[in-house]
Amino acid sequence: MLNILVVCGAGLGSSFACQMSVEAVLQDLGVKASVDHSDISSAAGSRADIIISGKNFESQFMRYDLPMELIFLDRLVDKNEIKEKLVPVLEAIGKL
Amino acid sequence: MGIIDFIIDSVLTQASITIALIAFIGLLLQRKDFGEVMSGSFKTMLGFLVLSAGASIIVNSLIYFGKIFSEGFGMQGIVPSIEAINGQAMNDLGLGNQIAITFLAIFVVNIILARFTKWKYIFLTGQAILWMATMTTVFGSVAGFSGISLILMGGLVGGFFAVAMPAIAQPIVRKITGTNEIALGHFCTIGYVFAAGISKVIGKGSKSTEDIKFPKGLGFLSDTYLSVAFVMIPLYMITAAFAGASFGAELSGDVNYLVYAFLQAVEFVVGVYVLLAGVRLLLAEIVPAFRGIALKVVPDAKPALDCPVLFPYAPNAVTAGFVTTTIGTVIAMFVLPWFGLAMILPGMLTNFFAGGTAGIFMNAVGGRRGVLFGGIAHGFFITLLPALLVPHFNSFGFVNTTATDVDTVGAALVFQWIISPIMSLFS
Repeated sequence: MLNILVVCGAGLGSSFACQMSVEAVLQDLGVKASVDHSDISSAAGSRADIIISGKNFESQFMRYDLPMELIFLDRLVDKNEIKEKLVPVLEAIGKL
Repeated sequence: MGIIDFIIDSVLTQASITIALIAFIGLLLQRKDFGEVMSGSFKTMLGFLVLSAGASIIVNSLIYFGKIFSEGFGMQGIVPSIEAINGQAMNDLGLGNQIAITFLAIFVVNIILARFTKWKYIFLTGQAILWMATMTTVFGSVAGFSGISLILMGGLVGGFFAVAMPAIAQPIVRKITGTNEIALGHFCTIGYVFAAGISKVIGKGSKSTEDIKFPKGLGFLSDTYLSVAFVMIPLYMITAAFAGASFGAELSGDVNYLVYAFLQAVEFVVGVYVLLAGVRLLLAEIVPAFRGIALKVVPDAKPALDCPVLFPYAPNAVTAGFVTTTIGTVIAMFVLPWFGLAMILPGMLTNFFAGGTAGIFMNAVGGRRGVLFGGIAHGFFITLLPALLVPHFNSFGFVNTTATDVDTVGAALVFQWIISPIMSLFS
């Protein structure tokens, strides 16, 4: 199963809102995945296939050498932007 | 009848079980399959109990801090933390059940108001609603409400805030995001509007914060738990140093008193981490269900979302608002005791989230100068309101702590200043 983790500072509000948008996009695309949300402190230890977070966290993630695909959004709940950035990644890892 | 009494007296009085049952019914109504119903209900219960565990960690750390603070400085130092208030209300005051049901009542009132008024906002920030339910329950029960009336009053007041706060923020949110599709659902909104007002007056014609280059080193502060630790560790260690080695040793046993203070500060962060992990589990089933129902009942609804959703629109303003708000809270910490109010220590969680969001608001209407002066005023404002509640919290038995998010403080003051006097007219 494809694992996607959505990340924000506290792992409560905006990552959850973003998760719901990601789930809606995945449903449109017909891709099955398990999506969860978390805080940035624990994200580096995660084993998700794709991590999605806000642009403002990009520099935080760059300090680690993470094996998974990373997506950074300007607008966390904008389904068009999510789709635009998620589709190439899904294609690259052969899930679409 | 024995079995019914047993269920009512021994099972339903356990808030974790009640809330699991609520999730269970909700999942059944959504026609989820059996496995999802069971795992969802169990996770909700687990979340509630994890939350309680986090709360007791926080409280233990705060009790220690209270002791060294009063020894070191000869006065009470209050740590503002809505998480700690919620934890103590649920664990020690036994209000967990009422809070859980009020939480649902706020959702219901929110949907009704969004359906029948022109405020089409659906408040999706679950933890903010939990804090609101906590405050209306605590202050409602002190005002003399109990049982159904307590839940009804909490639902009405909380539900009103859930649509009114996004509504007053929307003109500026529209300016920030350039669309009218999302709204802000965060109970610090009175502070944002206040700060934006100051910024607008002072900052006319000032340039945007987004042209400033900030040092990259400050980036770690966007990591919530690190930024809390960043402040709590020096705070505890300096306080322990003032309290002195001999007093510190009484509390720390075999461990060096400064090392112990360091560990207790980290313990506080651990408590916040565990508590919020519990909240995450607790809300994982409830919020999507609420969203699904709300969007069916209110077709043209606007989702009101948690504040960091706005952060990518003006990241510099977030840092600037955080810094200027913190300056304001430090000033207020020293100034308020002169007026006979408690000494409120800077609350870093709120300073970051509320200060950062206020920064975006202030930048949108008053640029850099607006963020500087508006932010200091904002910090002062969000310290003053919780300071007004300290005597009440002390008399209810809360330990060295007060609420944060100013809208929930506003709701508490509605109970204290308006509803309570009206109630006493009738009794």
